[in-house]
Amino acid sequence: MRMTHRQEIATRGPRALRLVAVLVIFVIFGWAQAIGGEVKVIANRSVKADAITAGDLKRVFLEERIALGDGTHVEPVLEKDGPVHEAFLRECLGGTDDDLQNYYRALVFSGRGSMPKQLGSDEEVMAYVENTRGAIGYVSARTNTEKVKTLVIGDDSNHGERKLIRRVEPNYPETLKRLGIGGTVRLQVTISAKGNVENVEVLGGNPILGEAAINAAKQWVYAAGHSRSVVEINIPFDSQR
Amino acid sequence: MHKSARAVALVCVLLGQIIVHAQEFKLLDRTVQVHGFASQGFVYTNDNNWLTMDTSDGSAAFTDFGLNMSAPINDRLRVGAQVYDRNLGQLGQYHPSLDWGFADYRFKRWFGIRGGKVKTVVGLYNDTQDQDFLRTFALLPQSVYPTDLRDATIAHLGGDVYGNVSLPQKLGDLFYTAYMGHRRDSLYSGATYIATQYGIHGSTYGGLQYGADLRWQTPVTGLLIGASRLNENVTDRGNFLNPLNPAAGAFPYAAVSRADWMNQFYGEYTWGKLRIDTEYRRFLHDQLISPLAVETITDVRGWYVSATYRVMKRLAVGSYYSRYAITSVAGGSLASLFPEQTDTSLPANHIYDKVITARIDLKRYWNVKAEGHFMDGYGASSYPDGFYPGVNPQGYKPNTNALVLKTGINF
Repeated sequence: MRMTHRQEIATRGPRALRLVAVLVIFVIFGWAQAIGGEVKVIANRSVKADAITAGDLKRVFLEERIALGDGTHVEPVLEKDGPVHEAFLRECLGGTDDDLQNYYRALVFSGRGSMPKQLGSDEEVMAYVENTRGAIGYVSARTNTEKVKTLVIGDDSNHGERKLIRRVEPNYPETLKRLGIGGTVRLQVTISAKGNVENVEVLGGNPILGEAAINAAKQWVYAAGHSRSVVEINIPFDSQR
Repeated sequence: MHKSARAVALVCVLLGQIIVHAQEFKLLDRTVQVHGFASQGFVYTNDNNWLTMDTSDGSAAFTDFGLNMSAPINDRLRVGAQVYDRNLGQLGQYHPSLDWGFADYRFKRWFGIRGGKVKTVVGLYNDTQDQDFLRTFALLPQSVYPTDLRDATIAHLGGDVYGNVSLPQKLGDLFYTAYMGHRRDSLYSGATYIATQYGIHGSTYGGLQYGADLRWQTPVTGLLIGASRLNENVTDRGNFLNPLNPAAGAFPYAAVSRADWMNQFYGEYTWGKLRIDTEYRRFLHDQLISPLAVETITDVRGWYVSATYRVMKRLAVGSYYSRYAITSVAGGSLASLFPEQTDTSLPANHIYDKVITARIDLKRYWNVKAEGHFMDGYGASSYPDGFYPGVNPQGYKPNTNALVLKTGINF
């Protein structure tokens, strides 16, 4: 049966509305995911520390610290704008981007500091941190950060370390052990403020051993902290033992 | 084209070029950063002329600019310098000066030193008072940061020790700065300008300056409180031609500090897009004038409360109430020229300023501000506090409303 022009519009109307609604939801969801996306703090491999307190991280970015406690020189590198920068401001520095820019300008024009490097993307920050001694920056948690160091952010009371309360050893597949296949699996573990392991990713090592390492690490429990932490851990698989 | 307009146009073109091009370059394998700023203002007042400008006719003699370079020598040592120039009515008159230029070595987080010409840390804004692009307001509260007296506190030739420490039990961070050096005022400052109106033609103005600032970033998020103390021993030298007896001719003049100090207390609270500041300053200036052998004591007290709010990315609004009171006592032969002034309820001894401001950021580096001042009182005619007899020969009206328009760029 042929639809009248009016019926066509009536049918198209709800369909178009549905399409718009889906698009709006998609855009909002996508945006929310980007804003809510976690930030990873990265450092050049010259930085000796594996962890930094939230307070010290803020001091590094406010140029109140130019060296960490172990004497390592550090310099901050920022993203110019975007959701990662906004998330870092919100979670680590507090205040708005205008506040931060004015803070840096006050340092520059009174001679008390310099304008830190501000780059346009995760890739640029990664490249700069990889090649600049002492550089500390931040990128989206989804970024591959194999070439740099990922710093654990801790609260100021435990100096950046999350105390491991319960450790479950990985199940070493018997076949691999018999064949002498071993090595170290490098994992990136996201720990919630409460101390539960939220996410585990393999950064390096044998993929089958990686699977076993993930299964074990997911059962680990850490001491509670003030904020979520991202930590890199190494799990050895020794076929001689 | 007017001289100042030509200068501003030239600076804008130069700065525009620099903004477009790189702001840093490599020299001997070190990164040299170049930064600068410029601003141009216009002030209109309904009655009294203000800040040495002919503001009752509208004045654009309100220009300043600066350019700095700095570079790290190594991880701990940094050097840099900034040149600053301004024209504010009768002040500055486009005589550039070294604003700061020093070497800064940071041994530890809690201990660093700076040597050279160093900006003096007093209160929240003394060392950044020229950089109005850092703030919503076109003019800082004049009760605490009088722009015509910037030379008195802006910098010293000497050194600072500084640092910061974290307090135990998460009680926040403490920041300290202690300094000592020589202050040297420009001969185009408010102090020397007002002196000329009483027959004193200064040749040098300066002396020892030392003090300290301590501020506490409290555990309450966004709350900072602090205190500053500044001591001085300054000498003002020149020639004095008594306006009551010019036939006697000019003779050497010197005014030496007997007591010269400033106390300042301050607090700042930021909560999201809202920022609230408050400061109190007391400045006591007791000097002995020779060869007249008379003493003058000036006691200045000022405070303000300000609030600013960023309405949206490119728009911020603000308001402050600024209260300034001055008492002055002159002894000996000067008593007839400057009668004792101790009643701060008189408009001749106070300035109460209510201010509203809007700031629009056209670009990240370019802002425009519109500000209204509603002032009660005009301060002392013998002290540089905004209203000068030289540009108000007809005398003063008790109230002044002012419109300040200002635009500035920085990179």
